[in-house]
Amino acid sequence: VSLYRFLSLVAVLVAAPALPGIATRTRAFLTGRRGAPWLQLYRDLAKLWRRGVVYSRTTTVVFRLAPVVLVAATLVAATMLPLGGDRALFGFSGDLVAFAGLLALGRFALVLAALDTGSSFEGMGASREAMIGAFAEPALFLCFAVLVIASGRFDLGDMLGTSLITTSRTAPAALLAAAALFLLLLAETGRVPVDDPATHLELTMIHEVMVLDHSGPDLALILYAGALKMALIGSLVSATLLPRAGLAPPLGLLLLLGSLGLLAVIVGVVEAVMARLRLDRVPQLLVAASALAGFGMILLLR
Amino acid sequence: VSPAGVGIAALLLGGAAPTALGSRPALGRRLFQVLGIAGCLSGLVPAIPWLLDAKRSAGPGPSPWFGLDPLSAWFLVLILGVGAVTIAYGARYWGAEDGPRARRAHGLLAVLLVALAGVVTATTVLAFLVAWEVMAVTGFFLIIYDHHDPGVRRAGTIYLALTHASTLALMLMFAAWTGGHLGASFADLATSPPRPAALVLLLAGLGFGIKAGVVPFHFWLPGAHAAAPSHVSALLSGVVIKAGIYGLFRVLSLVAPIPAWWGWTALVIGVASAILGVLWALAQHDLKRLLAYHSVENIGIIGIGLGLGALGGAYGHPIVSTLGYTGALLHTLNHAVYKSLLFLGAGSVAQATGTREIDRLGGLARILPRTAIAFGVAAAAIVGLPPLNGFVSEWVIFQGLLQAGVVREPLRVAAAATAGLALTGGLALACFAKLYGTVFLGTSRSPATPARGGVDAALGAPQLVLAAACFLLGVAPVAVVPIAARIAARLGPGHEGVGGVPGLGPAAGLVSLAAVGLIAVVLAIVGLMAWIGARRPHAREGRTWACGFPRPSSRAQYTAASFAAPILGAFGPLVPGRVERGDAVFHVRPRDPVLDVFGTPLWRRLRSAGARANLLQKGRIRLYLVYVIVTLLALLFYLRPLRVG
Repeated sequence: VSLYRFLSLVAVLVAAPALPGIATRTRAFLTGRRGAPWLQLYRDLAKLWRRGVVYSRTTTVVFRLAPVVLVAATLVAATMLPLGGDRALFGFSGDLVAFAGLLALGRFALVLAALDTGSSFEGMGASREAMIGAFAEPALFLCFAVLVIASGRFDLGDMLGTSLITTSRTAPAALLAAAALFLLLLAETGRVPVDDPATHLELTMIHEVMVLDHSGPDLALILYAGALKMALIGSLVSATLLPRAGLAPPLGLLLLLGSLGLLAVIVGVVEAVMARLRLDRVPQLLVAASALAGFGMILLLR
Repeated sequence: VSPAGVGIAALLLGGAAPTALGSRPALGRRLFQVLGIAGCLSGLVPAIPWLLDAKRSAGPGPSPWFGLDPLSAWFLVLILGVGAVTIAYGARYWGAEDGPRARRAHGLLAVLLVALAGVVTATTVLAFLVAWEVMAVTGFFLIIYDHHDPGVRRAGTIYLALTHASTLALMLMFAAWTGGHLGASFADLATSPPRPAALVLLLAGLGFGIKAGVVPFHFWLPGAHAAAPSHVSALLSGVVIKAGIYGLFRVLSLVAPIPAWWGWTALVIGVASAILGVLWALAQHDLKRLLAYHSVENIGIIGIGLGLGALGGAYGHPIVSTLGYTGALLHTLNHAVYKSLLFLGAGSVAQATGTREIDRLGGLARILPRTAIAFGVAAAAIVGLPPLNGFVSEWVIFQGLLQAGVVREPLRVAAAATAGLALTGGLALACFAKLYGTVFLGTSRSPATPARGGVDAALGAPQLVLAAACFLLGVAPVAVVPIAARIAARLGPGHEGVGGVPGLGPAAGLVSLAAVGLIAVVLAIVGLMAWIGARRPHAREGRTWACGFPRPSSRAQYTAASFAAPILGAFGPLVPGRVERGDAVFHVRPRDPVLDVFGTPLWRRLRSAGARANLLQKGRIRLYLVYVIVTLLALLFYLRPLRVG
């Protein structure tokens, strides 16, 4: 069983770079363009991996270490989620705090690396990323609080392994939490309506402008971590809506991968039908996510 | 001779040495350093068995006035541990050129440490109040070290007024509790429940809350902690405000049951302090003021833990109670370590560059490498990121809040505080990214400020010691979490052995495992990158890509003010500031919402009302004669109906 959990983790790690590709392809299709192939990110990663690196003379070790810390933190966070079955590879009471802390560590490293370049554009991106992070944090914790209160369990594995959506007492709260988590997914992975991965003007970028100076394998690590983060938050949404407790081993994993693909398609649809929010409206979107989760909490505490 | 006595003697002797050996300043400083550190470590010795030995119970100590129990021992360790590092730093911070004032300040620092140790070990009310007042007054003299600066004098005056308001509240509290018998010991108080309990608990919250610096009584803190010399600020922010936390813990350990309203008040004030403290910190441009506002934030986080602990006790949930108190104790220790480290780093920055204005700095990582490493560790720790110590205490407090959400009583509403604590964490990340990025990364924003690298070599070692402590406490929480949980369990309902939290110790072990795993993965990827780096085209160096602009300037870098602007904009009127515009000038001056928006105008109005009332008494004899005649006539008029006979 432990081997199965490990293999599920490996499967998610391998499949993650497909998700941004699926979203982008869906958006292109719906807006009447052909778009890049949905496996494009794999090619980009392979290409960047072979390339050399250019470091700015302004930068310090912070800039070189940041992509590594980002990927490492995201990888360790991945071990705490129940992916294929109802248990995680690794977990302990309160590991949801560690999960959020690891994602925050990655963000901290990336923001500092951006400021390390001394570029005004990257500083701008860093500032925006920090703002999004500040407002995303309470929403994430409220979602976790809803799931904890609904399930009575304190670690991610047990919590997400409980079938909350099929019990009438907890179902409304779980739905609200899943909706909030989906908004978080859009914000955390730099998608419309928060950020536009297709924009070409530095002044309007958030995530991309922050990594302008990264190149070669460093950039590959950052892109990969972004895709993995999408898979992780997607797994949270998926596990809340489609509990996999009691499914035979390969079925759970297939369900997860299928639902992640579907989520990526939905992200693409959102991108196709929505415009980006004005930047000072982004906090409102995230406050809305907090409010959704907060309502879920009120339903449970009632 | 007890180790405690030796410790006190060594500390005081060490403190006197610089002044006594005024003709040989180098020797005096060295003696101060050696004796001071030895004194701190020796004073620590009696505390150790209290922390390690769970079965140990309080017996008659060597002194009727002072003694130890596990709670005292916990605070004593953090006071003397941070104190030793502060002494090591302080002895190098001031050189011979700083003269007799610096030598006297060394002595005051030693007295402050002894007084702090006295506060947390006092077993009678009188001893506590005397130690408390010595601590407060010594703190005042250390704060006004640069008393030629009117801003420093103003900060000192505000501090003095507030610290005496705190002492007054405490004296009233103890007077009401003991019925005026100030010789009573805490053991007596434990057997005589306070009456009226509401008044005593309110006064305790007020007195200790002012000292700890919770919103809305925080307003003395940023000014005072920014004004003091940096290593003194480290002690003030890291340790002295914890005396207030100790006091609250002590009162909580003496009163059972704690009424629920007290717990709710503490929780709400804690959340408010945490969020507002970090928001106001985000608006600051002065390195030390920013750090001082973060103390308000962290005291708020401790307050959340304390309030949760009290609520758990009030509603009879030992697990919630123990988790809340454990988190508060751990956060007190962790904050002491990283906040003092941050202030020491700020001292190095200020001494190397001569400024504390964040937006005039930049690129200091190259000039002050040791300070930059230590400051970076502390910044990640205060944000609460794994694998550092700040994460551990927030992990425990979050668990307490979530546990509260699972029970079926009014207590479950406390789970809503998770949102507040999470928002605090997110804002703290933004604030320290802004601070670290602007001060240490990028390039210098003002070519005029010289930066002296020698400072780093002299002052780096004490900072690295504290950075190592942040790291160890984060990687091996399994060593300290059970100790804190044991102390916390004895504070809960019924006082004795009620509630360990099942599984907390093993979970702390798994946190260690996660931390080690994270470090291992980082090292593995670094190794991988080095390996592939060796077989790729050579890494090239170039200029930062400025999106096609050919001549990037260091002045085009994002400033701390711009970095914080979008977040502060979203919070609008919660963060007041004054905008100054001119030709090529744009400044936002942050204002303290309590002191500058309410306090100072109120004070001004009071003074002008007083000045107007002063017209009545101008020292003119004719005017006074008029008063006498008018009074006489009024009295006669009043007595008119009373005919004699």
